[in-house]
Amino acid sequence: MDGKVEPRDRPLIQRRGAPVLLLAPVGALLLLLFVLPQAGMLAASLDAPRWSFAHYAHFLGDAHYLGVLGRSLLLGVLVVAVTLLLGLPLAYWLARLQSRWAPALLLLATFPLWISAVVRSFGWVVLLARSGLVSTALRDAGLVGRSFQLLYSMTGVVLALAQVLLPFMLLSLYGVIRAISPELERAAQNLGAGPLRAALLTTLPLAARGILSASLLVFALSVSAFATPSLVGGARVQLMSTTIYEQMTELADWPFAAAVAFILLAVVGFIAILYTRLGSGADGVARR
Amino acid sequence: MHKIGRRAALGALAATAFAGSAGAQARFQGRQLVSQGFGGPTQDVLQAVVFDVLDRREGCKSTQVPLQSAAAFARMRAEAAAPQLDMYQFSGGQEKLAAAEGLTAPLGQLANLADVPAAMKDAAGHWTTFAVIAEGILYRTDKVKTPPRSYKDFLDPAYDGHLAFPTITNGYGTDFLVMLARAFGGGEKNIEPGFAAMAKFAAGATIFRAASEVPGLFAQGDVWIMPYDSTSAKRCKDAGLPIAFAAPEEGSVASPCTVCVAAKSPNVELARAAVDQFISVESQTGIAESLQWAPTNARVRLTEALAKQLPRPDQLVTLDMVTMTQARPQWTERWNREIGH
Repeated sequence: MDGKVEPRDRPLIQRRGAPVLLLAPVGALLLLLFVLPQAGMLAASLDAPRWSFAHYAHFLGDAHYLGVLGRSLLLGVLVVAVTLLLGLPLAYWLARLQSRWAPALLLLATFPLWISAVVRSFGWVVLLARSGLVSTALRDAGLVGRSFQLLYSMTGVVLALAQVLLPFMLLSLYGVIRAISPELERAAQNLGAGPLRAALLTTLPLAARGILSASLLVFALSVSAFATPSLVGGARVQLMSTTIYEQMTELADWPFAAAVAFILLAVVGFIAILYTRLGSGADGVARR
Repeated sequence: MHKIGRRAALGALAATAFAGSAGAQARFQGRQLVSQGFGGPTQDVLQAVVFDVLDRREGCKSTQVPLQSAAAFARMRAEAAAPQLDMYQFSGGQEKLAAAEGLTAPLGQLANLADVPAAMKDAAGHWTTFAVIAEGILYRTDKVKTPPRSYKDFLDPAYDGHLAFPTITNGYGTDFLVMLARAFGGGEKNIEPGFAAMAKFAAGATIFRAASEVPGLFAQGDVWIMPYDSTSAKRCKDAGLPIAFAAPEEGSVASPCTVCVAAKSPNVELARAAVDQFISVESQTGIAESLQWAPTNARVRLTEALAKQLPRPDQLVTLDMVTMTQARPQWTERWNREIGH
């Protein structure tokens, strides 16, 4: 026996042509339903067949639209910060919970996902409106003025979107932390670290890459979100998604709407690549 | 022309009886018509007094898909080659754009079309107005002691923090901007005074999107005054809110509601029959009674009490929609920059 593996004994994935066959169904679907329509949109944004960058120049040369892009990115950062702050401790607790209630609690945490984002956002509209619970309480406490309301404000959009997207952050982090052995923390404690220090020095670095990818997921969902910002932000909070909608439906300027969509895609894509780089770096740190 | 006029003169009852004959039944029996509709209570009324009547007479089945005018036009355009909606109702002038882009089918020889005055329908026969709504000022009678008389009243510091107005992408939002411009010496071709006036009160105002938000805004208590239409005023009153409608001295803008047929619809003939139903005496009377929209069919006779409550199209202000449509992108961009931030 020379240890050579006969071709027919190789696992499927190592067979010649296997990757192509495995990827063919999803590839065909993506090509037909994603790549081709995107190519059509790209052509429209470039004013095909005349070809010009006029719509891109219009957007990028205008402080107002750059402000809209900045506001969308800021929204993404803020929502990631809020969901991370709320989601990380909760995910850690759920993942380490030794109780027969643990599965039920996890199910409960995903409960918001069972309701449409539109319905949840409407709930926020009711709460944040001028006569709503939140605004009334703040007003009665003398903290804000008479005409104060969180509805139609950036703060309101961040609040509502954080609630809508929290389950995504929570579920991602739960999976990540579950995969990290609790033995490591015990080992650290054996070596003299306190419980908090043990968690911060073992589990957190190992979870870093997962935290980054969960953040990227929530960031991408935030900057492209439409229903919640549209309902809660109204006409006053102008974001990339609402600008695309307005140009597309209200003004029927499809080429400009397509250009705005591609600018958003490019910026988010660029950030995703940066993040992935950062992710592999974080992984390196954790492995050391 | 003469022949149509005589046929129309047979009267609504006779027309209905005639169309109800076996011949018409066979024409559209079992067919399905899909129209875009305005949504909410308005759509329900139009279903009852227009489409259900058509369905009973022709043996077809009509449904409406709710979409606001601008979104409806976007859909009409996107589905130009293969329309899923056979006909459209517009309230923001989109029918003219649709006709100009070749998205509409000619209405052909409709029995009731001759009874609609020429100013209310397309010269090329691609759309017709079926109702006219009056725009004006809505106010809370318990908070505003002196009824508002002018669009200039929106600058009254007494209303600071109690104003609401529709965003520019709502057709009434654009009309409001134009009427503010007119009140301060400008107009469709000189919008500057409108923006200048709006900027003075926009910061403390509530900006909203759709008619469905109007009763809620008034019910919350902080909004006392807003520009909108007589139909919404009636809806608020019916809901028990202390709301009245005031016609400003600059004039009440006429907001026409129109119907047209999608050019490549497989149901063009049936959709034409529905358009004819929209402008029939029977349906127009029903629309006037339920929605208080002014009819456009000259043969409609209303009770004196009802007629008094309806806007008189000949006394309303007509805006220069061509100029406004051309300027809309620039106005919207400027509005987003200066007002809606």
